[in-house]
Amino acid sequence: MTVRVNPNLARTLQKFGAETATQCFHCGNCTIVCPLSTDENQFPRRFMRYVQLGMEDKLKGAIEPWLCYYCGDCSRLCPRQASPGEVMMATRRYLTSLYDWTGLTLKMYTNKSFEWLTAAGVFAATLILAFLLQGSPPYDHADLSKFLPRSYVIFGGMLFGLGLAGALFLNVLRMHKSIIYGTGIQLKYGESLKIPLSVYVKELGTFLYHFVTQNRYSQCTERSRYIKHFLLVLGFLVFAGYAGFMVIAEVIKEGFRVAFIEGSAHAIFPALHPVRLLEYAATIVVLYVVIDAFLGRFAKKEPIHQHSHSTDWTFLVLVGGTVLTGLLTHIFRNIEGMAAATYWSFALHLAFIVTLFVMGAFFAKWTHAIYRPLALYFIKVKESAFRWQNLPI
Amino acid sequence: MADKIGAYICTGCGLGEALDIEALAKVASGKLKTAVLKTHEFLCGPEGAAMIKEDIEKEGLNGLVIAACSPRVNTDIFKYPPEIICDRVNLREQCIWCHPANDEDTQMLAEDQFRMGIVKVKEALPPEPYKVEEPATAVLVVGGGLAGITAALEAAKAGRKVVLVEKKDNLGGWMARIYKQVSLRPPYNELEDPDIGDRIKEVQANPNIKVYTGAKIEKISGEPLNFSVSIATKSGTATERAGAIVLATGAEPYDATKLESLGYGKYANVITTERLEEMAAKGKIVRPSDGKEVQSVSFILCAGSRDPEHLAYCSATCCIDSLKQAIYVKQQNPEAAVYIFFKDLRAPGFHEYLYKRAQELGVVFFRTESPQIEEGASGLVIRAQDVLVNDTIEADGIDLVVLATGMVSTAFSGEMILSAAEEEEDKKPGMEIATVRPDVYYNSDLLNLEYRQGTELPMLKYGFPDSHFICFPYETRRTGIYAAGSVRAPMDVQTTITDATGAALKAIQSIELTSRSFAVHPRVWDDSVTEFFMQNCTQCKRCTVECPFGAINEDEKANPLPNFARCRRCATCLGACPQRIISFKNYSVVQIGNMVKSIEVPEEDEEKPRIVVFVCENDAYPALDMVGMNRLTLSPWIRVIPLRCLGSMNLVWVSDALAKGIDGVLLMGCRHDEDYQCHFIKGSELCNYRLSKIKETLDRLALESDRVRFETVAIMDYRRVEGIVNDFAKQIEELEPNPYKGF
Repeated sequence: MTVRVNPNLARTLQKFGAETATQCFHCGNCTIVCPLSTDENQFPRRFMRYVQLGMEDKLKGAIEPWLCYYCGDCSRLCPRQASPGEVMMATRRYLTSLYDWTGLTLKMYTNKSFEWLTAAGVFAATLILAFLLQGSPPYDHADLSKFLPRSYVIFGGMLFGLGLAGALFLNVLRMHKSIIYGTGIQLKYGESLKIPLSVYVKELGTFLYHFVTQNRYSQCTERSRYIKHFLLVLGFLVFAGYAGFMVIAEVIKEGFRVAFIEGSAHAIFPALHPVRLLEYAATIVVLYVVIDAFLGRFAKKEPIHQHSHSTDWTFLVLVGGTVLTGLLTHIFRNIEGMAAATYWSFALHLAFIVTLFVMGAFFAKWTHAIYRPLALYFIKVKESAFRWQNLPI
Repeated sequence: MADKIGAYICTGCGLGEALDIEALAKVASGKLKTAVLKTHEFLCGPEGAAMIKEDIEKEGLNGLVIAACSPRVNTDIFKYPPEIICDRVNLREQCIWCHPANDEDTQMLAEDQFRMGIVKVKEALPPEPYKVEEPATAVLVVGGGLAGITAALEAAKAGRKVVLVEKKDNLGGWMARIYKQVSLRPPYNELEDPDIGDRIKEVQANPNIKVYTGAKIEKISGEPLNFSVSIATKSGTATERAGAIVLATGAEPYDATKLESLGYGKYANVITTERLEEMAAKGKIVRPSDGKEVQSVSFILCAGSRDPEHLAYCSATCCIDSLKQAIYVKQQNPEAAVYIFFKDLRAPGFHEYLYKRAQELGVVFFRTESPQIEEGASGLVIRAQDVLVNDTIEADGIDLVVLATGMVSTAFSGEMILSAAEEEEDKKPGMEIATVRPDVYYNSDLLNLEYRQGTELPMLKYGFPDSHFICFPYETRRTGIYAAGSVRAPMDVQTTITDATGAALKAIQSIELTSRSFAVHPRVWDDSVTEFFMQNCTQCKRCTVECPFGAINEDEKANPLPNFARCRRCATCLGACPQRIISFKNYSVVQIGNMVKSIEVPEEDEEKPRIVVFVCENDAYPALDMVGMNRLTLSPWIRVIPLRCLGSMNLVWVSDALAKGIDGVLLMGCRHDEDYQCHFIKGSELCNYRLSKIKETLDRLALESDRVRFETVAIMDYRRVEGIVNDFAKQIEELEPNPYKGF
């Protein structure tokens, strides 16, 4: 098979953050030092070459970018300052944009002004919507369910969530296709791969395990980053679990009436209630990690913080904004006479959340949370299917 | 003859304990009685050295035999004026350090070596140095490019008069034609305007430099310190005298019309490095086919280089030039796609930073062999097997393909001429005569020397008149003539500057040494002169053919006409002469012959064979010293005689040795092939050639040809030397004793 050199793709990849790839002279130090690179799935060196030449075919079906957790060992050891870690990051961004059927990710990653305008637009739209939909809240004490009717939040949230999940599902289908048919063990001429549903179900554990634990990250040389990341994910899961649990509880209780109910669903948890303590812990963890990342990206000491793509900053701002406004809402809500401030910060909190989900979960950074375990899962599924079909691996 | 000899035996360094010094001293008695004979326990100490000094003054000694350590150590202590002949008998490294102490055989070895030392001094006379009358001390520089200009400037700065001859009407050569040069200052990755203009101005402003442009060398005759040079200029012939010559005529790009396989001549948009340089110097880099600015450029490195069908070697600068030109393209248009196809990218030294810069600018590199170039729909298409991807890659839409062609020495033009080739001899059937590689040169019309061995400099490899790069930097095989820059080897700007500076210094060195009657590299301490006893000359031409440095001319009757200032004192002529008419005052056929004869050969029934080992004093002798330093053990039968060069080995010494009853002769010289290590280029090769003819003599004496062995060794081969010596000794032990013992 002839590989066509594609200078246009090479140029595009630079915009994804792979500017340094041309500096690589392929010594292979990065691949040697990487604790995650294996004989079957070698990286980052070969990706440096794919990126230099714009080798679309090789990049498209690759799973290796998802196996890299960017500890930065490779960039630290690179004799040419070609930052292989960042190039792997860029390939992840590129893959995310490939999986995205709307093509918006591509724009988001390669066009800074588009990205920021979109973020600002979503943010503003949410704020406007919140004010348009607001009820008539009391100002002597804060009652959020009066500010934004419960039905709007729960139903709107469900719609929003389902919409995002649906779009993401289409992306996952595209990812599935490119990995199953594009990488690793290849089918020989005349062979066709049938994957029974049972295989998908059987291997589902892989996905869940890696989704929750990010265990591969712990194989990186520096464990502290894994611990931070793990805690961060736990924090996110606490938030998501809390919100999700609330919504699901309502739906179970009220069924379809959920779209019309009013009034406060529950009182604020008492000060030492375990759920409240858990929320506090999650807030502290997420805030800590976000500040840490902010400082790191300013100091540029560690390889992973030396190259900041515009989307990295956006993401940090959105997560930080979400947590801070959430925290403020909580504080104001518990102080007498701060009702107006509570509503304001809650509206901002909503605007941050929506923007974060639109920008992060659908188009950019957050997607790795699902793509990484999925990549591992699909590879398992593929192997399993080959075995099931008695095809040579 | 040295008739007042002082013999000194040192008993330090364990010599006194390992040897019977009294018995050893008895050697210097009878016929070999010396005027002074002393032992001292610390000869190289201040007392010992003072003692020798005192004896020289009191007794009027004119010869010294110092039996102590190797002549390669303590050279500053045992240093005497030239009128005193001195020999150092190596009792330490080559006797007690590699033979058992207090052993009968070791004692015999020491006595023989001491005896030979005395004979050597007895048979020698102080040299009568040669002086050039009316010495010319100017340096002639041929070629006015970067190398020539640098050599001229450096020589002038050192206070020499310089004559600079350039073929073209302007100075500057290749460097005057380029657009930018790579900066030689930190950060080493910038391109800057060529600084050759400043250098030319400096030459023109220097009163010590006389410049001839539009001129060429018509004729050079003479010798160092006395070269007569005829220069053909536009206004007639000028004559100059020079003391030494720097040849810096540079190189030409390889003829790209031979590269049709890479599309040159077939497609208009395939050009050479030279052409792109011109284009860049003029302004825009465009497609020759339609004059449009280029969007995509590919460089093919090693175009015709490191390819046995074209140039087998690496031209050292094409990679750097292409990196530079890739940066031209990127500077003209940062979005342009620039590809470099290479076999091996060679950007040595600080040029690595240039490579890095090109990478940072986004130049993409392909490691590949033999890329294929074709015309495609939207431009040229290059297909090649990429080593990293392990697949065929295809780059299309290429506007311009640049072939990085190599360089060909200007000395590699004209007709090939073989000189010093062996003339057909009347071979007897069954006789295998070793061949000596002929000297090759091209009549490239650069120097037009009036030398018996040809008009230009002999080449080493690939048409470059180079010399061994470790042993003889800047040297050529013509004394007083030094090649610099890309005429002698492909090189880049920085190397050329260093090289030309080195050559200028070598030229000055040659002038200085010659004016003090010394030889030039490597025997720079040597002021002895060859003597020809012409009454016995048979005009056989052996000496004029074999002299590795073309020092000997010939008259029309084939009589040798030596040029003493061209001579390097290797004594190859001494070994070559079948009539044995060539000698030095302190190194002659008789002298070495008598040393051989002074070896005491025990009776047959004593079962103590004797082996004479003739060793090259440049490599094999120090290797033998190292055998001692490493305390390896050698056979006690050997008697070592160092020679200036194995090329000076005269066959008569072998027959002398065998006729005296010595059982074997071992010769150890240097490697002789393309990557020769011989200090005198062909010495060991000529020795081997002569030995191949000795078989006949041996047959006549009814002796086995196994008794004579020739080996090549390098200076660090001491372990091999141990093996060779002991192997040979074992082989000799197995043979019957030499039947001529006792005759």
